[in-house]
Amino acid sequence: MRLHVNGTWIELDDVWVDETLLSALREALGLVGAKFGCGAGLCGACTVLVDGRPQRACLLTAGASGAARIETIEGLARGDALHPVQQAWLDASVPQCGYCQAGQVMATVALLRVRPRPDDADIDTALAGHLCRCGTQQRIRDAVHRAAEASRGRA
Amino acid sequence: MRPDRSRSARGGGGGGDGGGGRDGRRGRRAFLGAAGGLAVAFAAGCGALPVIPKRPTPSAADAAAWIRFAGGRYTLTLPRVEMGQNVLTAMKRIACDELGVPWDRVDARLHGTRALPRVKASVGSDSIREFAIPLAQACATLRDALEAGHAAGVLAVRPRPMAELRAFERTAPRSPRSQPIEQGPAIVRGEALYAADVRRPGQRFGRVLRAPVSPELASRAVFLDEAAARSVPGFVALVRDPLLTQGRSEGVGIVATTPGALERIAAALAPRWSVDGSFESDDVVRALDLDARLARGALAHQPRLEPWHTTGVPDRTGPWDVDLHLDVPPAAHAPIEPRAAVAHWTAEGELHAWVGNQDVFYVADVIAARLGLDASRVHVQGMRVGGAFGGKTIATVELEAAVLARATGSAVKVQWTRSQEFACGFHRPPSRHRIRARLKDGRIEAWWHAFASSHILFTNAVLPAWLQRLTDVIGDDGVARGAVPPYRTGATRVEFDLVRLPILGGPWRGLGAGPNALAIESAMDALARAAGADPVAFRLAHVESPRLARVLRRARESAGGRSSATGPQRTGRGVACGIYKGGSFAAVIADVDVDPSDGTVRVRRMTCAHDCGRVVDADQVRAQCEGNLVWGLGMVLVESLPIGASSIGAASFADSPIPRMGEVPAMRIELVDDGDAPTGAGETAVVAAAGAVANAIFDAIGYRPQRVPVRPADVLAHLRASGRA
Repeated sequence: MRLHVNGTWIELDDVWVDETLLSALREALGLVGAKFGCGAGLCGACTVLVDGRPQRACLLTAGASGAARIETIEGLARGDALHPVQQAWLDASVPQCGYCQAGQVMATVALLRVRPRPDDADIDTALAGHLCRCGTQQRIRDAVHRAAEASRGRA
Repeated sequence: MRPDRSRSARGGGGGGDGGGGRDGRRGRRAFLGAAGGLAVAFAAGCGALPVIPKRPTPSAADAAAWIRFAGGRYTLTLPRVEMGQNVLTAMKRIACDELGVPWDRVDARLHGTRALPRVKASVGSDSIREFAIPLAQACATLRDALEAGHAAGVLAVRPRPMAELRAFERTAPRSPRSQPIEQGPAIVRGEALYAADVRRPGQRFGRVLRAPVSPELASRAVFLDEAAARSVPGFVALVRDPLLTQGRSEGVGIVATTPGALERIAAALAPRWSVDGSFESDDVVRALDLDARLARGALAHQPRLEPWHTTGVPDRTGPWDVDLHLDVPPAAHAPIEPRAAVAHWTAEGELHAWVGNQDVFYVADVIAARLGLDASRVHVQGMRVGGAFGGKTIATVELEAAVLARATGSAVKVQWTRSQEFACGFHRPPSRHRIRARLKDGRIEAWWHAFASSHILFTNAVLPAWLQRLTDVIGDDGVARGAVPPYRTGATRVEFDLVRLPILGGPWRGLGAGPNALAIESAMDALARAAGADPVAFRLAHVESPRLARVLRRARESAGGRSSATGPQRTGRGVACGIYKGGSFAAVIADVDVDPSDGTVRVRRMTCAHDCGRVVDADQVRAQCEGNLVWGLGMVLVESLPIGASSIGAASFADSPIPRMGEVPAMRIELVDDGDAPTGAGETAVVAAAGAVANAIFDAIGYRPQRVPVRPADVLAHLRASGRA
């Protein structure tokens, strides 16, 4: 089987067909940015983009993801140049433990593509399914606004 | 002979009770199960004696191992665990400031057991308070030696006072604050940082299956369809080993080539379990029946009061101006990272493990003791921890990984499922409080706080009942934390009972201080109202500490004017304050909106003034305050871990929610730094945040929560009963 991840087709052993997309990304491909948090789609830590939409990689099988374009947090930066959302996350000092942040970042990337100028209500809605236990929510809101601002400047 | 059964027999037949001293025999027997039979010496079988963590206090001499200079670069080996407090960043700031070198000259790394002499667990907001000055002393010694032309050798660190350390000078040139946090770029790039991110050649995946009951109940597998399990593609091994016993729960280990195969093997194995005894949530409620305990006389433990508290027993006959009950349920730590470990045996016969644990050395101790290894053959590397909050202080998944790695001769990764986190982890214990207090001429004349809880420091997640009983002589400072009011409360009595419960309880952010402060601050709010006084002014009239008074005033100034209600919303403002571990101070003001149509409470804004002495990294002290505010909010409005039949009644975040993005208000943090010695920020504000929210609810609708979390139904019932709906 193969997966299309971050712009490249990658071959996988067939034993990964029935595994979750999350396991295949992490354990077969070594793309460990997406995290296992609950296995039930309730925390958002495993979020990746599937054909541009934020999806819970713990709920998808690798076999069913073969035809889709998958984007993970590892594919955001261009070499040393961080994606505006990544940069905003650093500028706002968002992460505490950091474990949920890949999911939050990927959901934000997807949000800004469809809504380049989100207000706080848009952010709360888009990230409602993304849990953070450390209490970084206020900084996440700040970072989303910063990223929106930076993306406008770049476009 | 099963060791868990032998201990079960001991626990049931040993004659003692579950730890509280006077809990009802019937209820206790239900917890311990129908052990009966022979009482067998506990030493029979492995795992009987728990490994107790060593907690050495760091010294300047220890700090020599934390900082090194070689080849023109400095290496800081963090003597703490990094779990989101961003202490890696804070300690690197201290090193750069003291050494007088730019940020990129210092490489900061996490420690393993071979990188440093033993350091104690990262708990109790101790990292800056106890490690910052020794690190600066070591850096100052290194700086002086380099300036004097020394280039090699081991230096004896001179323990100079804080006033001579450049890292704590307010006006000194400080390392630039524009740098991202350490490991921040790796986090946003998704690089491997956490235990579950470790991948080893030939790595397998493991899980330990257990009966779906509390580890306090003895349980074991009585049937396994081994043949069916072996036929599942990806099956590697079935591991029966007494070392997989957690508490009194016998574990069945499975190992597979892929994570998904674990699910299929577990389903095929279809284990049937035998369980000794049972309990219901009502048993826990009854075990903590505070009024029944008080009716029988004095409670077992009285924390030492402050010297300025009036001694003497308050006249207990009443009448009381305030008589407040508060029930606090169990709550989960709920870090987003379920605990994980990777273990493997090297060709040299050593056990290496990568863990996300608050005490790397303790994990090594447990693995060495349980597996019968010389300590020199066990190496444990600490990884960044994806949230811990006190919950990752025991060795569980790490031992499971080590046992499965030994059984299969391969590297094995084990990460608990979310349901295992609820079922097998320990939690904030439930507690029940009653505070009675009396006023005279507007001042508190008598204060009587009684409460019951299960153990925290002497957790039942580590100590079997017989050993825990031995600790009852000294009580449990974790349960008592924050129970002594920081106010001049007249004739003061504080007392509590410790009750061993059938669910696992232990340290949770702030230990007992969160629930204790919520009770105290609720009572203070009620007393202020009974006195007809402003709640800030009433506190200021009773506080002993000038530093506590200062954060109260600062929070009041910073919070500004109250906003007016919009539409049918009822608005309220609440204040609370507290001292954490004697050296950190916080005051919080919360503004809430209550919707009388559906009973929902929304926190609109929280303002926190915080004093933890000399601030090393203002941004990250603020981050810790923000986290504590969210935890306080969650405590009052969101969090409760249900108890089911003989177990925790939660398998997912749907059953035990935590605050979500839309529930977290705007937060403003004011830092007070008057040059006092640095203390801790990791748990301080939680002692004020919960009380501020609860008191704001009272301000809005006149409802004083007697149990948390406050549900919309509670609000609606109050509004109907008071005719305010």
